[in-house]
Amino acid sequence: MRRQILTSIVMLLTITVVLGFGYPLVVTGLAAVGFDQQANGSLVYRDGKLVGSSLLGQGFSDASGNPLPRYFQPRPSAAGVGYDASASGASNLGPSNPLLIGFVPGVNTVGLDGDSSATNPFATRADPSCVPTDPKGNPVTSPTSGQRYARGPGGSYVCDPDTIPERAIAYRQLNGLEAGAPVPVDAVTASGSGLDPGISIANALDQVPRVARARHLPESVVIQLVSRANQGRQLGFLGEPTVNVLDLNLALDRIR
Amino acid sequence: MTGWDWGQLAFVSAVTVVVAPLLSRYLAATFRGGPAPGDRVFLPVERLAFRITGIDPDSGQTWRGYAMAVLAFGAISVLFLYAVLRLQGVLPFNPTHAPGMPSGLSFNTAASFITGTNWQAYSGETQASYLAQMAGLVVAQFTAAGVGLAVALAVIRGISGGSRTIGNFWADLTRSLVRVFVPISVIAALVLVSQGAVQNIHGFRTAATVAGGTQHIPGGPVASMEVIKLLGTNGGSFYGAGGAHPFENPNGFTNMFDLLLVIVLPFAIALMFGRLIGRRRQGRAIVVVMAILFAGHTLISMQAEAHGNQLLPASVSQVASGHNLGGNMEGKESRFGAGGSALMTVGTMGTTAGATDSALDSYTPIGGAGAFVAILLGEISPGGDGGGLYSMLVLVLLAVFLAGLMVGRTPEFLGKKIRAPQMSLIIAYVLALPIIILVLGSLSLVLSVGTKSILNPGMHGLTEVTYAFASAAQNNGSAFAGLSANTPWYNTMLGLTLLAGRFVPIVLSLAIAGSLAGARVHAQTRATLDTAGPTFVAFLLGVILIMGGLIYLPMLILGPIGERIVG
Repeated sequence: MRRQILTSIVMLLTITVVLGFGYPLVVTGLAAVGFDQQANGSLVYRDGKLVGSSLLGQGFSDASGNPLPRYFQPRPSAAGVGYDASASGASNLGPSNPLLIGFVPGVNTVGLDGDSSATNPFATRADPSCVPTDPKGNPVTSPTSGQRYARGPGGSYVCDPDTIPERAIAYRQLNGLEAGAPVPVDAVTASGSGLDPGISIANALDQVPRVARARHLPESVVIQLVSRANQGRQLGFLGEPTVNVLDLNLALDRIR
Repeated sequence: MTGWDWGQLAFVSAVTVVVAPLLSRYLAATFRGGPAPGDRVFLPVERLAFRITGIDPDSGQTWRGYAMAVLAFGAISVLFLYAVLRLQGVLPFNPTHAPGMPSGLSFNTAASFITGTNWQAYSGETQASYLAQMAGLVVAQFTAAGVGLAVALAVIRGISGGSRTIGNFWADLTRSLVRVFVPISVIAALVLVSQGAVQNIHGFRTAATVAGGTQHIPGGPVASMEVIKLLGTNGGSFYGAGGAHPFENPNGFTNMFDLLLVIVLPFAIALMFGRLIGRRRQGRAIVVVMAILFAGHTLISMQAEAHGNQLLPASVSQVASGHNLGGNMEGKESRFGAGGSALMTVGTMGTTAGATDSALDSYTPIGGAGAFVAILLGEISPGGDGGGLYSMLVLVLLAVFLAGLMVGRTPEFLGKKIRAPQMSLIIAYVLALPIIILVLGSLSLVLSVGTKSILNPGMHGLTEVTYAFASAAQNNGSAFAGLSANTPWYNTMLGLTLLAGRFVPIVLSLAIAGSLAGARVHAQTRATLDTAGPTFVAFLLGVILIMGGLIYLPMLILGPIGERIVG
């Protein structure tokens, strides 16, 4: 046994030197020679200043978090407060979690007597799947007795703006779509990394009229830029075609 | 599923069908002994390694000696990695200023990487230094893969060979690293970098975003880790988001390339088994069983995810069209789509990699169940590097025994009789992991230290916990990541589960091989059970499914199946 342990130690040290340092550094060296741009993160500069990476999504909202109408908007993000590249990650919300899908009668609503088939106690006519949240962001799962819905700190009733039904409402509002108009699924769901650089073509096209109006451009010009930012499928059949939001917005800024 | 999803599945299948046999020929030539391809390059490297470490590659070990070497190497590796993680804050190569990990997390992470599980209770961007990632985690990913392949080779020699010794662990480990894992890794890493995967030694770079904010763009030796994470069926990523991160998995091509890196080698190892024992039909029969299981769980998940989450409002358009992605896109990247994400993520679940490109916790109940089933069946579709083969061989022996009982003959495999000593070991092997998963999973569901880590309420929460233990015990490492597993309870319990899940099966399968090593080989007669024909393939599938079903069905009904029915 002592021999085995000694051999283990020598073996592990050898492997650590060769594979722990040698291997990554050799690959780094080869990558720097062959693919410097990619190896460094496909960085994008404008006027000599680093503005991001064409592989990482970024937010296009103002300081208070409202989406800027003149920019195409990326997907919702669960990375930090949104597109935080030092905290990549997904929402990890399950498919029936009220924080994701809102309160759906018979699925995740609970009545006062524990009846799980109860209708959403927080429903309003305009928003049948509303989920009020407490100040910490946890869902209020059952109303206190006698109360029809929970009230926020200001006394008014608050719905979690991050559920899919709420995002759909906000998306329609932002883009001037009529109530109940279909919304592309990627526009209201958070990605796996929280740094998704792309959106679907349907999502981009829905945003074209708004962006064109905000920039006083003809829609045809904007549509042309969208199709130029469409990355297509790899080798023509692998993956899905997506529109790179950063590339598209930079192209828009170059026009005016 | 769209036509594009079927197209990607067909692409993956076609590449595997072409490459795995070629690779198996190379592997068989490499590990048969005697001259091997690439000797001109590899032989001097090997000789140097043997001289440094003082190993005599030709001295054979009995199964006990082999197992002792595996355990000693495992123990030293865990200790070393634990030390690196604890001390990373004061060690060099730390541009992101990651502090030393606390003891519970260090133990959990060390156990996790040494066992090839790569369960990650930490987040890569901020909690691991570049030194820890390179010299600690990547080294563990290489050795875990090498140990798996080495044990498989020893088991093959025991089951089929005529000698009491079953090879030399140190020689097997060195050879598999020098001749298989390192050369493929270097080439594949460069392929990934060419597509956009990051490979540098910078820390965060601060960008002033277009809308006036700031973004800290991470760096790191990512591609070199990504490759061995996949090729070594490890699964542990550089970044927290894993294979969903654009810097690890930049586009639709790399998504399928990643999947192929995971599955081709285990399939090739099974074919290598056939070549090494001189019965290629036997290797192919095992591959057919693996492939059927792979297709089963992968298709179930792809179908469910492409169909979408039925609980969303009808006005959210989940139907795929030329312009719309469609499907259940929560936790999935737009460039992969719902079907492509499920193909990659659940495709790797039948191995010990558990490498994901999307958030499993947000999968539909049936989509997530596909992943769960792949793990619970024991990761044999096609399994980890080496681990897939020795797990499958144990099940083959079990099936041979049951078939023998049915026809009333002494069961034999490759001409060797399976008797009581072997059967006791086989039953211990089959029961060990389910007992760990069910007992510790149940404890976590009744103790408050366990339940307070659950993110999603109800049946989905039960799945989060039981999945964690199944994933740890089977050394998969994927997670329903809503569970906050970085707590003393989960770090410790899952850490112990990881070690047991790795080393108990290794020791038992080596023991089985040892008990068959040198046993008399009986001549094949007309009455010998054909273990490579279609009848046996179907029978083996039945044994696998019924065994898994008997043990785990109640748990699945309380978890994903119940969630689907109630939802």
